[in-house]
Amino acid sequence: MSNTDKPLRAGESHVQAVRATFPGSVKDVSWQASDQVTITVETDMLPDVVEFLYWKRGGWLPNMVGNDERAINGHYALYYLLSMEEQDTCFCTVRALVDPDTCEFPSVTPRVPACVWSEREVRDLFGLRPVGIPDERRLVLPDDWPDELYPLRKDSMDYRRRPEPSTDVENYRFLYEGEAEEVTEMPMGPMHITSDEPGHFRLFVEGETIVDADYRLFYVHRGMEKVAETRLNYDAVTFLADRICGICGCAHSVAYAEAVERAQGIEVPLRAQYIRALVLEVERLHSHLLNLGLVCHYCGFDTGFQHFFRVREKAMDMAELLTGARKTYGLNLIGGVRRDILAEQKGETVRLVRELRNDVEALVDMLLSTQNFESRTKGVGILDPKIARAFSPVGPCVRGSGFTRDVRFDHPFDGYAHLSGFAARSHDGCDVQSRTLVRIEEFMDSLAMIEALLDDAPTGPILTEDWTYEPHKFAIGYTEAPRGEDVHWAMTGDNQKCYRWRAKAATYSNWPILRYMFRGNTVSDAAVIVGSMDPCYSCTDRVTVVDVNTRKSKVLTKTQLEDYAYNRTHSPLKD
Amino acid sequence: MLKLFKEIRKAGNATVQYPFAPLETSPGTRGKPEHDEMHCIACGACAVACPPDAISMQTDLAAGTTTWGINYGRCIFCGRCEEACPVEAIKLSQEFELAVMSKADLEETCAYELARCAACGKYFAPRKEVDYAKRLLAHAGGPEAAEASDSADICLECKRKADAQHAARHYEAEKKGGVR
Repeated sequence: MSNTDKPLRAGESHVQAVRATFPGSVKDVSWQASDQVTITVETDMLPDVVEFLYWKRGGWLPNMVGNDERAINGHYALYYLLSMEEQDTCFCTVRALVDPDTCEFPSVTPRVPACVWSEREVRDLFGLRPVGIPDERRLVLPDDWPDELYPLRKDSMDYRRRPEPSTDVENYRFLYEGEAEEVTEMPMGPMHITSDEPGHFRLFVEGETIVDADYRLFYVHRGMEKVAETRLNYDAVTFLADRICGICGCAHSVAYAEAVERAQGIEVPLRAQYIRALVLEVERLHSHLLNLGLVCHYCGFDTGFQHFFRVREKAMDMAELLTGARKTYGLNLIGGVRRDILAEQKGETVRLVRELRNDVEALVDMLLSTQNFESRTKGVGILDPKIARAFSPVGPCVRGSGFTRDVRFDHPFDGYAHLSGFAARSHDGCDVQSRTLVRIEEFMDSLAMIEALLDDAPTGPILTEDWTYEPHKFAIGYTEAPRGEDVHWAMTGDNQKCYRWRAKAATYSNWPILRYMFRGNTVSDAAVIVGSMDPCYSCTDRVTVVDVNTRKSKVLTKTQLEDYAYNRTHSPLKD
Repeated sequence: MLKLFKEIRKAGNATVQYPFAPLETSPGTRGKPEHDEMHCIACGACAVACPPDAISMQTDLAAGTTTWGINYGRCIFCGRCEEACPVEAIKLSQEFELAVMSKADLEETCAYELARCAACGKYFAPRKEVDYAKRLLAHAGGPEAAEASDSADICLECKRKADAQHAARHYEAEKKGGVR
């Protein structure tokens, strides 16, 4: 069989390389979209194949998805999603089946550290055990969740019910990986329940220096994936996805819609593609301004914080003008968008873009000429490029360490595919300052992109209903949210329901690297470092300090920690 | 430092009078959905479309009513109801101040009368929906519409029965006449 004169499909070179390197390991190959290929491999070969694609073929791993396919083929399935970015760019998924009797599969984490959270999660939610994973603690489920109840198994439980707590004790162990023996353990959290992302941090400190850190999140896991599978129709999930995040909801909504659209082969009208890209950039505007404000706040420059937030209102007004709401835009349906941009709104948007550009240029000038900005951010929170390569972090975090990873340019989608003259921004200081500079440059790019998208958007329909729904088809949807790529995986099912929806928020990829960014910094920099990752940190409101040497513990309030972060005198640890 | 002071001076006073003065919103802002009970035909399309199940329909066969209801506490202001409504009886307003002192005040309901099937006498559809269907058919005109209009008062089950009987009679007639 010779097909030398036929050009290879996107991803075909990777398939050939896998076949050549591991003969007999490939069971099946299928394409879900022009740039998405799924290779089903023998389960025993899973770590070898993923390792090969990740390290030898330039793959990055956004996510791994577990799926209960017992009703379809009698097995559980794992999908390791790999974004191939160095050659033959595409999404290359490695799929392996897991025997429902043993529920075991060989862990990929020892070879590719980026899998660690996904494999821990699949163990919690499906009861599939990654054999050989170094960290066997729970990730998503609370300590008091019954042992044998795996919520995402199709036959496990009704989404409306909660099991009785199985224990009254918090038995989560925080792991210390450092070498120093005399360390002080300093818990931060769990936090304010009114904020969206409470987390519990445990800092291991030697004097004032953080030697290691561990943390636990998912205190407010909302079970959205289960709700989407059971209660909602597949076309209503875009509205639920809008509510994953209070900041970058539209990025999730678009990612979900496009996962389903690709799975179903739906051709989204060109104008709708432009509008989606445009609104994603509007979302980036307000998110980056929020983070620039927070950087000021954590450096003790609250005047700057207030001014960034003052200017940010214009970005919120722009969103309200274009979508009808400051947040939760409710823009997407499967097949397109719901609201067109009229001439009047276009003119007003252009006016706001110009105002924002002038305002933010002045504020950035003010921030960069503020003396303590540089001293508080330069060389702080170093993300070693080697660590970054191993864990596949995303967004300004990875771009601040010299990598130009950005799905808008690596896998151009929607309106971005038609833009020219833009490229991923990166800095190689690997510190908080680099991440902040990346955000500043991206903000300015977003303004230019909005203008270009408004000018170039073709006229025409914004929504198509011209398709037939087919069950059990799956694909990946992706967007570059302000914090990095949101990657969604969706499989349609019977009765107009999602069979499985896996939503990966950008920060999910960034949490595992935080402990490396903490190391070697002082306690007073902890807030700046977490802030530079741009999670929703507002929830971190109190800190407990445990002195391992004297076995004494102490609770600090949020104000105490923040005051110390501003002033860097009167350490609350001493007294 | 000087740049900072200049910026502060240029910015002036950024706060607004709200809530002591009304807050200006964009013309297309999505706020509280307003239900027009006169135009509503109780078809329930909005309840089907509503992603968070804020809108519901409750049928009470004993009272012969179907009750449309909305819970503003669940509403996400997406506007799918407005898109689904065939008679423009629900529209999003600009109102966003929905806080109440009691949770019960977040709910609104409106009961509609059910129509009885002309054949079996059981309740089968909201009267206003049946009337709406008849008006549409009358507007469309033609013999097919007239025929459909005649059976508009009959419930689905009776319609099926009538169709089956009609087919059986036709079959008998064909057999007797020997027509193929």
